[in-house]
Amino acid sequence: MLSPLLLLPLLAILILNLPFRSLMQKLAVWVGVGLSLWQIVAVVLLAMGHKSADPWGKFFTLGLSCDNLTLVLLTSIGIVVLTTILVGWQTIGGDKQRFGFMNLVFVAMIGMNGTVMLTDLFSLYIFIEVTAVASFILIAFQRDTNALEGAFKYIILSATATVMMLLSISIILLVVGDTSFAAAGSAVRQFQGNPLVILAVGIFMCGLLIKGGVVPFHGWLPAAYSAAPAAASVLLAGIATKTSGIYALIRLTTSVFANNESLNNILLLAGAISILVGAFAAIGQSDFKKMLAYSSISQVGYIILALGCGTNLAIIGAIFHLFNHSIFKSLLFVNSAAVETQSGTTDMNKLGGLGTKMPVTNATSMIAFLSTAGVPPLAGFWSKLIIVVALWQNGLHAYATIAVLASVLTLAYLLLMQRKVFFGKLADGLANVKEAGWGITSAATILAAITVSVGILFPWMFNSVLIPISSFLK
Amino acid sequence: MTINIILNIILGVTLVLAAAWTVMTARLLRSVIGLAITSVILTIIMFRLNSPLAAVFELSVCAGLISAIFISCISLTQRLTDEQAAEKQKERFSKFWLLPVILVLAGVALYQLPITLDFHLPAAPTETDVRNIIWNLRHLDLVGQIVILLAGAFGVVALFKD
Amino acid sequence: MTDSFILLPIAIPFIAGIVVLLINQRIQSVKEAITLLATGATLVLTITFCKENINLTIPWTGFGIDFALRLYHFSAFILVAASAFSFLFVLYSCSFMRNKPYLNQFYSYLLITLAMTNGAVLADNLVLMLFFWEGLLLTLFGMIAIGRPGAFKTAIKAFIIVGISDLCLMMGIGLAGHLAGTFTISKISLSVDSLGALAFILMMIGAISKAGSVPFHTWIPDAAVDAPLPFMAFLPASLEKLLGIYLLARISLDMFKLTAGSWISILLMTIGAITILLAVMMALVQKDYKRLLSYHAVSQVGYMILGIGTCLPVGIIGGLFHMINHALYKSCLFLTGGAVEKQTGTTDLAKLGGIAMKMPVTFVCFVIAAASISGVPPFNGFFSKELVYDAALERGMVFYLAAILGTFLTAASFLKLGHAAFLGKRSEHNENVKEASLPMLVPMVVIAAVCVVFGVWNYLPLDNLIKPILGAEHLEGLHMAPNTMLITVTVIVLIGALLHHLFAAKVNGSGYKASDHIRHAPFLEGIYTKAEKRWFDPYDIVLKIIQGISRFGWWIDRAIDWLYDDFAVRVTTGLSCVIKLAHTGSYSMYVVWSLIGVLFVVIMLMKSF
Repeated sequence: MLSPLLLLPLLAILILNLPFRSLMQKLAVWVGVGLSLWQIVAVVLLAMGHKSADPWGKFFTLGLSCDNLTLVLLTSIGIVVLTTILVGWQTIGGDKQRFGFMNLVFVAMIGMNGTVMLTDLFSLYIFIEVTAVASFILIAFQRDTNALEGAFKYIILSATATVMMLLSISIILLVVGDTSFAAAGSAVRQFQGNPLVILAVGIFMCGLLIKGGVVPFHGWLPAAYSAAPAAASVLLAGIATKTSGIYALIRLTTSVFANNESLNNILLLAGAISILVGAFAAIGQSDFKKMLAYSSISQVGYIILALGCGTNLAIIGAIFHLFNHSIFKSLLFVNSAAVETQSGTTDMNKLGGLGTKMPVTNATSMIAFLSTAGVPPLAGFWSKLIIVVALWQNGLHAYATIAVLASVLTLAYLLLMQRKVFFGKLADGLANVKEAGWGITSAATILAAITVSVGILFPWMFNSVLIPISSFLK
Repeated sequence: MTINIILNIILGVTLVLAAAWTVMTARLLRSVIGLAITSVILTIIMFRLNSPLAAVFELSVCAGLISAIFISCISLTQRLTDEQAAEKQKERFSKFWLLPVILVLAGVALYQLPITLDFHLPAAPTETDVRNIIWNLRHLDLVGQIVILLAGAFGVVALFKD
Repeated sequence: MTDSFILLPIAIPFIAGIVVLLINQRIQSVKEAITLLATGATLVLTITFCKENINLTIPWTGFGIDFALRLYHFSAFILVAASAFSFLFVLYSCSFMRNKPYLNQFYSYLLITLAMTNGAVLADNLVLMLFFWEGLLLTLFGMIAIGRPGAFKTAIKAFIIVGISDLCLMMGIGLAGHLAGTFTISKISLSVDSLGALAFILMMIGAISKAGSVPFHTWIPDAAVDAPLPFMAFLPASLEKLLGIYLLARISLDMFKLTAGSWISILLMTIGAITILLAVMMALVQKDYKRLLSYHAVSQVGYMILGIGTCLPVGIIGGLFHMINHALYKSCLFLTGGAVEKQTGTTDLAKLGGIAMKMPVTFVCFVIAAASISGVPPFNGFFSKELVYDAALERGMVFYLAAILGTFLTAASFLKLGHAAFLGKRSEHNENVKEASLPMLVPMVVIAAVCVVFGVWNYLPLDNLIKPILGAEHLEGLHMAPNTMLITVTVIVLIGALLHHLFAAKVNGSGYKASDHIRHAPFLEGIYTKAEKRWFDPYDIVLKIIQGISRFGWWIDRAIDWLYDDFAVRVTTGLSCVIKLAHTGSYSMYVVWSLIGVLFVVIMLMKSF
């Protein structure tokens, strides 16, 4: 059941690039929708225990593995890729361009699926790179100065991260002669005081922090998110950087890096700084997408903070917030895509009063921002609550306070956004704006429905879905 | 024995030369080729040092991945005109004169300072058959590398095919 | 009747609220009917619950946070009051709000507010209560925002102020839960020592700011002008007072062991006294019907906080009784204000006057309610204020003097309001004014009648509603006999207020200008240079002091306003600018940051071994 998640998209790419171009170009979108829906179904099947039936297992033993953390991530990947494809369908003009876009989305999907399923440091590096290469090209997709600059910044910082991860892998290879998570984990435990191993742990972590866009490693992120075409920023902000940076960090902190105190302290500090810097920077932005990008940094801070706390509850909170964030941040970017395509700008000073013109976008954006700010009973409230409770229980009162206070800032800047874009007087030149097309509105509706229903169903989900997630922590 | 030593010296010298060429050449594309050559030589050295796993990693990283990224990155830049290239050619030595000095100083420092790195690490298990490594141990990486090459190809198509 | 029926007072209005929101804007009467039905049903339901004791617990999120509801005499009483007020306001709004924009939002917010209030009152778990409490914040925001154009700014102001105090409440709840080891309200019993005191103060801030005390009141006068009028009668005047004082009583009676003489008690009494004086000073010089009333809505909270803060049974009974009385007369006053606004089209006192004969019912209701709020015997406000005076005198002369001075100024300002709005010369503008319509009169008359009943037969509410809240053990040795000396003082003060008004009105020319001498410094000098030539010197000094205090109060009012409006925003934008400047867009700078980060991480890790 696992290897098809990797190989089916690959097969799809290969078949789509056969001759019959015009036919294939029309098919590509449907294939994408099908693949992402199939992925969600596959996750449900996997969660219900269909692990044995792997029809391709005879030919490919790829050494993939799957636990509950993987399942959560696979679900988010499926959902976000689906919305990306829907938005891309609507916003990217020209059959040929759209076809290229879909191919790259499939590549990113392979990269992300691989990242969450593999069990080896070197393979992890390769699949992170797969996602990254697809991301570079997606950011530069529009080929204007901004796009190239954003892509370039990402390439440079990503290359820094790559060098650090490779160096770390080579040290681990030197120490144990193997790069699987299990071997690396035992090596780290065995040579705990060894400076070389500490160096390996430290720089691998920094590499992942760069990928995840945590302060002070976040320089590439605002430029990249805001320069990317609308659909690509949904993919990037929603899941791509979260998988390659944050998921990998969660996986490695829990199974490879020994759970040591100074590592946790660093994570706590980085998380808190990210929350604050991201939030304050977001308040000062006048560009819709840039503001969302900084907001993304701030929300990732919560995940890192919870990870640094290290208790089971905190890690559940981190994973839950990762899921929620992928949903509501995608939703906000889908809304920004709607505004951008309909009004032609993302400068909030030039926007205003779109609420009546674009009711669906307005309503869903409202849901997303309330969820982001942690207003009950939406999903974002619960994950933040779990994180704060876990921090408090662990005696980290100062960090818990920062987490609570920062949600006021979150509310402030998102309210500002909502007000500038959707409320108030209709800005000049927007009289003819209409609601975005069905692709965007349906994507927004799906995501909003997920946020609301997860929030409302949370009391029932908590014991039956969330607590079992921690089973991967031995 | 002597043949081996001579071979090692030759490989080492070529490695340094290839690396220097990579850094100092004026045209980026040549620089990438230099990088590929460097990594191939490094791979050979690793095989000779009985570490085929590391060699395979080196090959797949440098010859495969990074070259693909660099080529797609370079195609974003503008080609130098001949005059500019000649200009670069001239300044490359003046630009890097510090490099050997730093190298020598670092060597002296390493030799002089009491830095000891003698922790006892277990010897890495050796696997001699390269085919076995590539196909049985690292096949997942193989899939990933194929996908990266595909991504590079799509990138060139999406960004440069007009 | 099963226990789960207790969910209905929350569920009925909430579902009705959603339904109303979804119904088309054009079918007004259906919406009104649904809203009336839902509030009426809730009222009937809560009355049948009145004597029950029900505990209901549904497992909810874990971590000791259950969906726990508890119905007992105190919460049942607040439930009935909230539902009754809602019913009457809806009836009133049917006429007042007709053909106004955003009607479906208005009714929907009203119903959801009722649901959230009921939830917050019933909740037996602090986190659950907070959940409903935050829900109220959203409807508050919505209700103000749908007012006249430009109300959005006020809505934001209210949102920020109430949001900040809710944040304090949240922290207080977290701390209290941490100290007590449980979030179940009926199981918490904490002492007011170092951390306990912090928890108490944080929760107290949440409670008194909901009730609208100084320094959390500044949004209320703004909202009075911007928001739809029934909102003012509904939220700041009645429901929020009930809720805020309910929580204050719960935390100071049940959850924390508060004793007379502790510094917290002094703190509460001081806040109460300052609230009374500061707000009434502001009220006295207002020139707008609604704005004047809204400052009184703040001022009267002071009596409740003062009463509860004394920690004496008499004071607590007085405070709680004042809470009911205030909800009654203040909502009645707002309703008369609404009737005047609807019929004459303005609430500016300069344009009103002489409409008493045109709107007799409204005028009578106004007189009853105004007499109540001024503490004229035998109306209800008199009795609750007497109880508060009694307790305040026992705790300290200063507090008593503050309270009685507040009464003097209250009486003065209502004499001015009544004179300016209803009596005096009728302007041409108001020649054709008619009495308000029946749905608007019914709630006013009902509430005014209750004011009289609760005054004349004051043992009825005291024995049936208030005393059971305290429990038998607090009531031993409690003397409830009226204190003749205090009554005499009160009556003298009231007569003084009347004389002052008559004098001022005569000197200044009209009732409308009766307080001008306090407001306008040049005019003040104008009168009192004349007064100096006669034999008025001491009075002049007192008035100057009053004016000074009034200005000081105004200054504090503005300062608090500045703190919310400007300071917080400036600090935030300042920090934001610094961070923005740091992001130059140069990628080499970003690489340097990253490398410094790496260095830091590696050094931190290395140091630990």
